[in-house]
Amino acid sequence: MPQVKIIAKNFMDMVASLTAIKLDKLYNNVFICEAILRSLPPLAKKYVLQLLFTDAPVTAKMMKEWVLPDGESKHGVAIDRLIQLRIFNESVDRKKETCYSLNPTFQKNLQKHIISGGVLPREPMNSNNAIKLPSLQELETYALHQWECFLLQLINSGQGEKLTGISSSMMKVFQRGLLSQRDRDGPRLTESGFQFLLMDTNAQLWYIIREYISNAEERDVDPADLISFLLELSFHVTGEAYNLNTLTDVQRTTLKDLADLGLVKLQQGRKDSWFIPTKLATNLSVSLADSSVRKEGYVMMETNFRMYAYSTSKLQCEILRLFARIEYQLPNLIACAITKESLYNAFDNGITSDQIITFLQQNSHPRCADRVPSIPENVTDQIRLWESDLKRIEMTQAHFYDEFPSKDVFEAACDFARQWGGLLWEDSKRMRLVVKSEVHNQMREYLHTQSK
Amino acid sequence: MKNIQNEEYYLGDDPDEDSRDGEGEKMNTDFSKLELKPDHANRPLWACADGRIFLETFSPLYKQAYDFLIAIAEPVCRPESMHEYNLTPHSLYAAVSVGLETETIISVLNKLSKTKLPKDMIDFINASTANYGKVKLVLKKNRYFIESPFPEVLKKLGNDVVISKARFYSDPYGGDGFTVGKTSGELEAGPGELLNAAELAAAAEEKETHSFEIDPALVETVKQRCLPSELNYPMLEEYDFRNDNVNPDLDMELKPHAQPRPYQEKSLSKMFGNGRARSGIIVLPCGAGKSLVGVSAAARIKKSCLCLATNAVSVDQWAFQFKLWSTIRDDQICRFTSDSKERFRGNAGVVVTTYNMVAFGGKRSEESEKIIEEMRNREWGLLLMDEVHVVPAQMFRKVISITKSHCKLGLTATLVREDEKITDLNFLIGPKLYEANWLDLVKGGFIANVQCAEVWCPMTKEFFAEYLKKENSKKKQALYVMNPNKFRACEFLIRFHEQQRGDKIIVFADNLFALTEYAMKLRKPMIYGATSHIERTKILEAFKTSKDVNTVFLSKVGDNSIDIPEANVIIQISSHAGSRRQEAQRLGRILRAKGKIEDRMAGGKEEYNAFFYSLVSTDTQEMYYSTKRQQFLIDQGYSFKVITSLPPADAGSSLSYHSQEEQLSLLAKVLNAGDDLVGLEQLEEDTDGMALQAARRRKGLMSEMSGAKGFVYQEFNSGRHKSSGQQSRKPKDPTKRHQLFKKRFV
Repeated sequence: MPQVKIIAKNFMDMVASLTAIKLDKLYNNVFICEAILRSLPPLAKKYVLQLLFTDAPVTAKMMKEWVLPDGESKHGVAIDRLIQLRIFNESVDRKKETCYSLNPTFQKNLQKHIISGGVLPREPMNSNNAIKLPSLQELETYALHQWECFLLQLINSGQGEKLTGISSSMMKVFQRGLLSQRDRDGPRLTESGFQFLLMDTNAQLWYIIREYISNAEERDVDPADLISFLLELSFHVTGEAYNLNTLTDVQRTTLKDLADLGLVKLQQGRKDSWFIPTKLATNLSVSLADSSVRKEGYVMMETNFRMYAYSTSKLQCEILRLFARIEYQLPNLIACAITKESLYNAFDNGITSDQIITFLQQNSHPRCADRVPSIPENVTDQIRLWESDLKRIEMTQAHFYDEFPSKDVFEAACDFARQWGGLLWEDSKRMRLVVKSEVHNQMREYLHTQSK
Repeated sequence: MKNIQNEEYYLGDDPDEDSRDGEGEKMNTDFSKLELKPDHANRPLWACADGRIFLETFSPLYKQAYDFLIAIAEPVCRPESMHEYNLTPHSLYAAVSVGLETETIISVLNKLSKTKLPKDMIDFINASTANYGKVKLVLKKNRYFIESPFPEVLKKLGNDVVISKARFYSDPYGGDGFTVGKTSGELEAGPGELLNAAELAAAAEEKETHSFEIDPALVETVKQRCLPSELNYPMLEEYDFRNDNVNPDLDMELKPHAQPRPYQEKSLSKMFGNGRARSGIIVLPCGAGKSLVGVSAAARIKKSCLCLATNAVSVDQWAFQFKLWSTIRDDQICRFTSDSKERFRGNAGVVVTTYNMVAFGGKRSEESEKIIEEMRNREWGLLLMDEVHVVPAQMFRKVISITKSHCKLGLTATLVREDEKITDLNFLIGPKLYEANWLDLVKGGFIANVQCAEVWCPMTKEFFAEYLKKENSKKKQALYVMNPNKFRACEFLIRFHEQQRGDKIIVFADNLFALTEYAMKLRKPMIYGATSHIERTKILEAFKTSKDVNTVFLSKVGDNSIDIPEANVIIQISSHAGSRRQEAQRLGRILRAKGKIEDRMAGGKEEYNAFFYSLVSTDTQEMYYSTKRQQFLIDQGYSFKVITSLPPADAGSSLSYHSQEEQLSLLAKVLNAGDDLVGLEQLEEDTDGMALQAARRRKGLMSEMSGAKGFVYQEFNSGRHKSSGQQSRKPKDPTKRHQLFKKRFV
C-alpha cells in the first residue's frame, strides 16, 4: 500500500463509523451481512460462526480461554472489531461478568443466508432478449477506459481545463480535497490530488467511493442506503445485464454516477434499459489489503535516471509527467528522464520522494521487478537526497530589532530574549538581534518598560 | 530536418551543453502516431523521425541490432535495459565508409523497427549518404587513384577546376577516361544475418569501380577540395597494402600469446573489412586493450609504422607494447622523444614519438631535425595515433601534413569533447570504425567492474564563509578543494583502502596547491607536470613493486596514457570543471581487469574490485560540475552512489585537521597563498615549471590554477640536464598556444 496520508483502510471502516441505528438498518440486508462477514479478520470470522446458532450470551472470560496465550493480541483485535461493527453486543450478566452475544438482526439474516442461500433483489435479464452483451474482455477495456478518462479529467481540470461529461455530484467529490477552487486560476490539483494520482487503482477507487458516500447527505441520499446499495452491487455478476426498472430513483441516479467511473455500463434496448456491472464494481467489497492481484508493471528505471514506460495510455503519460520530463512518446513506449527540475516540480506539488519511489516500485516492469532492488539504488538515493536538500532550511517567523540606545540596553534585551528562549541571532558589534515571533509581544513590552 | 549541407547545425551547438538537454521542449517528440507493426514485440527497436533510436537490450535480436546500430548511429546512452542512439550525418558517414549502402541501412533498419520507418528518417538517411563514402582515395603501387563505384560522381569531380589540374589523363581522345576495375565486396557478415540470401549474394558480388589517377604532389589539395566545406564528397582513404610493393615490408607478426578478444577482433575486422586498410577511429574503453588493437593493425599491414602518443611515459609504454605483442626486433623499433633519440636500422621499422615532437614549430636540435626530416621523407604504412580526443585539430593538421601515411588509425576511449570538435577528427583521420559498449565489456569480464561513489563533504563553517566572500572569487577552487572535511574524507579513504583491503590508490588533483598540500601532509609521492621523466618513472616503478608505496598523487598529467595497471582505487579531490572526458579518462586508469575472471563476474566474490571516489564539497560549484562530469559515465551505464557520511563521525583526531585551530591555520594558509596559488617554491629548480607558472600568473583565470594545464598534449623537456637544442624547444607561452583549449575555460 502506498504510504499516503489520505488513505482509508477499507469499506468496513466506513461501515463501522455509521451510527448504531444505521448499522442495524444495514444488517437487514442479507448481502451486507455476508459482505461484513467476509471482511472480518479470520479469528473474528470464527467467533461469529461459532456463536451463529447460540442464543445465550457467552462470557468474555470463557472466550478468552479459547485462545492460546500467544494469540491474545489477535483475540483482542477480533473482539474490538466485532464490537465496533455492532456484530457483538456487550452486556453484563448477573455475576457482573462481561458477556457477548450476536446482534440479533445480523444473526437472523446470516442464519437464513447460510441455510437457504441469498437471493438478489434482481435477477439477470435473459440474454436472448435482443440484448447484445459485451464480452468480459470488452467490458474490462470499457471499465479501464472510463476510469482513465475520469482520472485524465482530474489532471486536465487541475491544469485549468474545463471538466466535461462528469456529473456535478462527482465534481463535488473532486472538490473535497483533490481539487481546490481558486477564483482566478480555476480549479487546481491539491497536494492530496497529486498524491491520489500516484495511488494504485483500488486505493483510488476506494478513496472516491468513500468521498462519494460521505457527502451523500448533501445530495439527500441516506449514506446507509448508499452503502447497502454499493455492497449489494458487488454481489452482482460481472458481465450480466440487470434491468434498471428494478431500482429506486435514488439508486438510478447513483448508477449514473458510477457509470462515469466505469463501475457499471449502462445500455438501452428498445423497451428496457439495463446496467452491466464491471470488475470495478464487484471488487468493491474486497478488502483493499487483499488486492494481491496486481496489474503488470510497465516502468523501467535505468541507472542514468532515464525511465522507459511501456504504455499506450495518455493517463500514465500524464502521471509520469507529474515527476519526470517526458522526452519521447512512441506508439507503445514513453521515454522520460527524472531530473532535478522535474522532481522539484513534484515536491512543490506536495508529492514526496517516498511516494514517487513506491510508485516506481509498484509499477516496475516485470523485467526489472525481479531485480533487487527493482529501482536502481543510486536513483532512489538521489531522489531522497534532492528532497532532503530542499528541507535543509527551516523557516522561523521572527522579528528584527536594532538601534539600541546603549550597549547595556542591548545586552539586557539579549538576556531577556534568551530567558524566553526566543533569541535567534545577535550581533553585538552593531547591536542588532533577531527574536522569534512568539516572544515578540513580551519583548516589545519589555523594551517599552525599559525605555521609560 | 537535419541536413548535411547544414553543418552549422552540429557545430553551432553550445559546446558546454549536453546535446540532449532541452531537446524535449524545443522539438516535437510525440511520435505516438507511428504505426506499430503487428509483430512488433519480436522486433527490437523504435526509430523516431528526428533520428533518435531506442533499442531493447533484452530482445533476442539485440546482438545483431547492436552491431548494426553501432555502425550507423552514435550511441547516446547505454544502460542496462534500453539503449538510445542518434542517427547523425557523421555516424552515417562512418556507416557508408565501412561499406554499408543506403538501401541496406534503410532495409535493415526497417526490419528491426517495431514501427514503420518514419519518412523523415528515410529522407535523412538518403540525404546524408548521398555524398559521403562515395569516393575513395586509394594509394596503389605508389600512385594515387580516386576511385568510385559511381561514374557520375567521378565525372563531377573530374570536371572540377581544381581536381582536373591534378588529374593524369590516360586517354586523351575523349571518353570519360575512367579506368574500370573490380573490388571485392564486404567480407564481414555484419548485418548480413538479417538480410535474405539474395541480398547477401548481391553484397558479396564483386563491384565495378571507376577510377582516375591524380598527381601525388597535389593529393592534399584534392583532399581539401573534397571536404564538406567545398565539393562535399569527403574521400575515404584506403590502403591496398597487400599490393604495395614499393614500400619495403616490415617483418613483424603477432606473437602466439597475443590473442585478440572478440571485440578487438571485431574492431580490426571493421578496419580491414575489404582486404584493404581503412583510415578511421576505434573507440575502446581504457584498459580494454587498445594497444593490442594498434599493434595488431601494424602487424597486419606490415609496413613502416609511426606511432604517436601524448607524452614520453606513454611513448615508453607503446614501445613496450610493440615488443610484448609482436615479434618485432629491438633494432626495428625506436623511440623519439626529447630524452631519447633512437633510429631504427634497416629500411622499415616502427617509430614511437609524441605529437609535440612532430608538430613542434620552433627550432630543433640538429639531431632532431635529421630525424624529423627522415620522417617527412618516408611513406608510412600506418600512422597510429593514440588518445586522439585530446589533441587539438590544428596539431593533427600539422602532423598529417608533415607525415605521409597510407592509413591512419586513431585510438581513443572517449570520443567526447566539451568543444564538440569531433567533426574535425571525422575528416582528418576518418570516421569512427568501431565503438565498444562499456557495460558489455564489464559483463564479459574484460574490464573491471567499478563501484563509483560521489562523496559529499560539507564545507566547514569558516571555509564556507570565506568561499562566499566576493574578494575570494579567485580562490574559490582552492577553498573547496582544501575544505578540511574533504581532506579528512580523503585521508580516511586512503587509510581504509591501504590497510583494510591492501589496494593501490591514485589520488587525482587538478589544483597544484592542493596536490602538494595533500601529498606533503599525508607523506605520499606525487607526480605533476614538472616532475621529470626520470622521477616519474622512479615513482611509478616504486608504486608498482614496493609494498610501502600504495598511494600516489597525480595532477592532470596522469589523466591520459600513464599506464598504472596496479591501481584499483581512484580518489578525485579536484577536477577540471565539467569535463566529462576527464572523468572517463580517470576512471579508465583502473579499468584494467584484475584478479581471476570468475571472481569478477556478477555474483563473484570480488564483483567490485575497483573503486572510484569523487570528493565534492557541498554547496559549492563543485556540485554542479560533478553532475556534469559524470554524465558520460552514467550514459555508459555506470551509476554513482552518493555517500554523505565520510569520514565517520567517530574518526575524531585519528585524522588530520580535527581541531578548529588546525583547520583555521589551514584556512590562513590558503588565504595567504595569494592569487598566484600555484606558487610551488619547493620546485624552484625546475625551470619549465617556473615558465609555466609565469605564463599562468599573467592571467588570473580560475582554470589556470589547475595543474599542468596543457600537459596532456604537450611534452616539455623537464630534466635538469638540458642540451641547448632542447632549451630552445621550450614554448614561449602555453596559454597562448592552444586557442582551442582555452575556449573551453571561458
